[in-house]
Amino acid sequence: MENLGRRLVPGASLALVLAALGGATAAHAADITITMAAPDWPPTRFMKEEFDRSYKSPDGNDTKLDMDFIPWPSFYERVAASLTSGEQKYQMIVTDSQWLGSFVEGGYYLDLTEKMKADPELTAIMRDLHPTLISAYSTYPHKTTQQVKDAGEWPAPNVHYYGFPQFPDTYVTYYRKDLFCNEKEQKNFQDKYGEKLPCTYDDWENVDWVMWKKIGEFFRRKKGDPLGDDTAKDDFYGIAYQAGKGYDFSTMQINAFIWQRGGSIWDETKEPEGQAEGVVNSDVAVAALEDYLSMVPLMPPVAKTGQMDIFVEQDLYMQGKVAAMVDWVGLGEPVLDPKTSTVSDVSAFGPAPGTKKDDGTIDRTGNIGGQPFVLTTWNSDEVVKEALNVVKWWLKPDTQMKFAANGGQSGLMSVMADPKYDTLRPWNRAHKEMLEWQRDVWHIPEFFELLTQQQEEFDKAITGQIGAKEALDSVAKFQQETLEDAGRIE
Amino acid sequence: MAATSPDLRADAGAAPANGGFLGWFLAPERRGALLVTPALAVLFIMNIFPLLWSFGLSFFNFRANRQGVPDFVGLRFYERVLTDDDVWQRFQTTAVIVGSSVVLQLIIGFLLALMFAKEFPLRRILLMLVLTPMMLSFVSVGVFFKFYYEPTFGLVSWVVNHFTDERFVMLATPAGAIAGIVVADAWMWSPFVMLLVLAGLVSVPRYLYEAAEIDRASWWRRFSTITFPYIKSLLLLAVLFRTIETFKLFDVVYIITSGGPGTSTETIAVYVYRMAFQFFRTSQASALAYIVLFVVIVLTSLYLYAVRRRAEEVS
Amino acid sequence: MATVTTPTPVRSPTKAKMRLPRRRQEIGKAGWGWTAFVGLVSMVYFFPVLWIILTAFKSRTDAFAIPPKLFFTPTLDNFVSVFYRASISGGSQQTDFPLYFFNSIFIAGLSVLIAIVLGTLAAYAFSRFPLKGTDTYMFIILTTRMMPPIVAIIPIFLMFRLTGLSGTYFGIILLYTAFNIPFSVWLVKSFFDELNPEVEDAARMDGATEGRVFFGVCLPQVLAGLAATFVFGLILTWNEFLFALLLTGVETRTVPVAMARTLGGEVGVDYGLLAAIVTLFLIPIFFVTFLLQNQLLRGITFGTVKR
Repeated sequence: MENLGRRLVPGASLALVLAALGGATAAHAADITITMAAPDWPPTRFMKEEFDRSYKSPDGNDTKLDMDFIPWPSFYERVAASLTSGEQKYQMIVTDSQWLGSFVEGGYYLDLTEKMKADPELTAIMRDLHPTLISAYSTYPHKTTQQVKDAGEWPAPNVHYYGFPQFPDTYVTYYRKDLFCNEKEQKNFQDKYGEKLPCTYDDWENVDWVMWKKIGEFFRRKKGDPLGDDTAKDDFYGIAYQAGKGYDFSTMQINAFIWQRGGSIWDETKEPEGQAEGVVNSDVAVAALEDYLSMVPLMPPVAKTGQMDIFVEQDLYMQGKVAAMVDWVGLGEPVLDPKTSTVSDVSAFGPAPGTKKDDGTIDRTGNIGGQPFVLTTWNSDEVVKEALNVVKWWLKPDTQMKFAANGGQSGLMSVMADPKYDTLRPWNRAHKEMLEWQRDVWHIPEFFELLTQQQEEFDKAITGQIGAKEALDSVAKFQQETLEDAGRIE
Repeated sequence: MAATSPDLRADAGAAPANGGFLGWFLAPERRGALLVTPALAVLFIMNIFPLLWSFGLSFFNFRANRQGVPDFVGLRFYERVLTDDDVWQRFQTTAVIVGSSVVLQLIIGFLLALMFAKEFPLRRILLMLVLTPMMLSFVSVGVFFKFYYEPTFGLVSWVVNHFTDERFVMLATPAGAIAGIVVADAWMWSPFVMLLVLAGLVSVPRYLYEAAEIDRASWWRRFSTITFPYIKSLLLLAVLFRTIETFKLFDVVYIITSGGPGTSTETIAVYVYRMAFQFFRTSQASALAYIVLFVVIVLTSLYLYAVRRRAEEVS
Repeated sequence: MATVTTPTPVRSPTKAKMRLPRRRQEIGKAGWGWTAFVGLVSMVYFFPVLWIILTAFKSRTDAFAIPPKLFFTPTLDNFVSVFYRASISGGSQQTDFPLYFFNSIFIAGLSVLIAIVLGTLAAYAFSRFPLKGTDTYMFIILTTRMMPPIVAIIPIFLMFRLTGLSGTYFGIILLYTAFNIPFSVWLVKSFFDELNPEVEDAARMDGATEGRVFFGVCLPQVLAGLAATFVFGLILTWNEFLFALLLTGVETRTVPVAMARTLGGEVGVDYGLLAAIVTLFLIPIFFVTFLLQNQLLRGITFGTVKR
């Protein structure tokens, strides 16, 4: 699949050149403005900058990419408002994968299946994309990565495709090599636990949650205690992962715990037979959540408030209050920037911890982050064609390589296979490894109801109001009722 | 209560000597209606019409993220909302937050007003310092108070940590989270109460105090017999005004706690927002919104009743 | 003396004129000692705002520093990044902040002004030519103001969807106008009620048209009231977030919406940048309020309380 993709791309670009020449002689260039809803952050900023620098319409159009940069915290509300109000403002939209169902069923996101099939360049791109990303970012109704893989060469029959990766994201471990590779700490850890404190990437390959918990206990220091070669200037903590009430800031990590132990969330691909009760609150899932909760007290005190979101842990890490954290790759750049981070020169990256199986291997299944971008349904054929030209430009290996060099991630296997890719950013190796393990949360239109209720219950558990069992029972009951009402469970 | 002497003016307006277009336009029999019309028209278009629309919507099963024609479901959503335990829990939360915030605003506002009810150097400038919180956006107040409460970096926690062994983690419990919201809201809006009370305090005739001094009345007696009667109704106004305003509290809650821990600080405003914009239960949200509106109208009536009674007392 | 308006009480001609000078004497006097005490309390009260302003001049590390830094090397970086942002691939580009700033002033200013014009006309009518059911109208008008914005969002949203008002200046200004009308009516009416009708009648006797009575006699007497209405309307409109977020477009976006860009993205809250925007955004409203401070004492009660 990978080779074929690479073979097809040059051929396709030749056709593209010919088409461009033909277009130029026909001299029927149009002025096209593509307005794109985009969260305001570097990956989309880069897309805009690079577009202005290097995009040339193969059809000879005079194309403008007009990005509507919307602040992340209000991005969902703004996009939802625009779509449901019918203002038909955007031609393209960067979207969280979970919103696919809501806005496909609302009739706002364009089904691209036939266009992808008819266009050899797009077909080549789809075949070159990592199957996890096709599964999470493009299919609706949702197909799992396994289903995408099992279907063989793209396209699978009876599957509908909508999106392309704008910024694929996974979580990895951020750690302080000045502490983890410190000789004194190494020795103390060895003395205490009889195990090696992870220092190199290879060491981190062996870290599971049991080890992670030990790290959390080990690096818990009071103000004035020795820390590394120095003393702690403030209370210091070993670990942090997301445990926040907002948006999906606990679900993303809890899902990983559940999946790694062989548990499951409600499986939308098994609709309408797949149940919520008995699955969501299975003993395995409860044990997984208990394990997740058992590490919360080891984290900085804000975790007790249920506000340890992905940004709070990043700030704590950057201000030198935590030894290691699990967080999105997309939040990595500021960690390496001395302007925002006090640990910019001592940070290193590894794969996120996982669960050790009976055979000794570690299962690192995680919940994918990042965003695809999609087209909307109200555009003229001319605009759709040009928007797809923009897609092809963005997913050209050349553009993707530049993106990766500027802190982005590529979803193309051909780009990731390039040895240069690993060296572009320090977390790329970990990201690539983690990408193999990703799954996604639900994509159905009821997504937000399920998520909000679940976040509330998890938050109660994180803040110690209820236990894991009680939380998951309540989640299961709510999901069962909601999904039965929606006709998704029979 | 109708105007007692409009006759003279009406006659003057109707006199042909005062003609001209404006005179005709403002002819007595229609000028009142004409002058009122533009304002009412804007209100009708932007406020009342949309409200009627959603009132209609609340009887259908409509979701903004689904296609197709909505079914008529009658009162089903009202029934569902009124029998929903979650809704009652949100109303209770809102009542607790509104109640404690308004009381705190009254106390602080009253004390601040006492301070400023004198003439002294730099009064105008110092008054501005106290008024500034009102001019901030809800968003920035929310963000910075959350920052002040943060257990590792926060100012409040840093101060309290000097007196406790344990880290001070304000927002970890439902009570603490409610307190966090209430303090931020009360800080922001106490100046409003202050201005109201101040308006009352400065209106107390000075000679009453002078007379009290001659009688050597105690502080409490002076307060209860002279000051309080003058500010009593104003305090009542402040209570109702702030109750109605605090009922709308949204951004501060959403930012400081996002409704947590669990759902313990989720106010009714946050709940409606979630239902409408995240769950796309458009019709159900409309039904709930109408119940909220009903509560607000009751409060408004109380407010006006209080105002009227005050008017009668004075006249 | 505090009284409350209901439609058009009649009062003696001297009362209005006497009020202002007499009140000055009613206020107790205090010296610098009191100033010191009040100054201390005011500074404590002002401290959270002061801390925001200080944060605007801090680097990110200083903003997070524990123990908190009261003294630090100030930086203007945050203010620079309000207007310029670094490109991903080097260099810097201008932000749209000046546009947002203009939008905020334009939208808030114009909608408050329109609301005052319409509100003044209506208030004049309610005050001078009471219709049948004036009380009911006034009540309905007040109710629309008291309504939580969240209640209005859904239908307004659907209406903007049908009329294509989303993202236009016209739409958001009209909406803010509607939200400002109720208290404009209530407040300005109370000012009209307070005027001495005999002055107007005298003008009519002299042959003035209704237009002249309104523009020449009544309006000049309530200018202070209009100023108060303006300040109060501005405070309420200036920081409006929800409608601005949902109903403005790229070109019509206001500062509170743009402010949200500092709340998360690649890093969490950019406290320095947010503080810088808050500080800049505070300046105009602070000065307007300062200049019209005395009127604000009246405006604050929506005109229902009178001195």
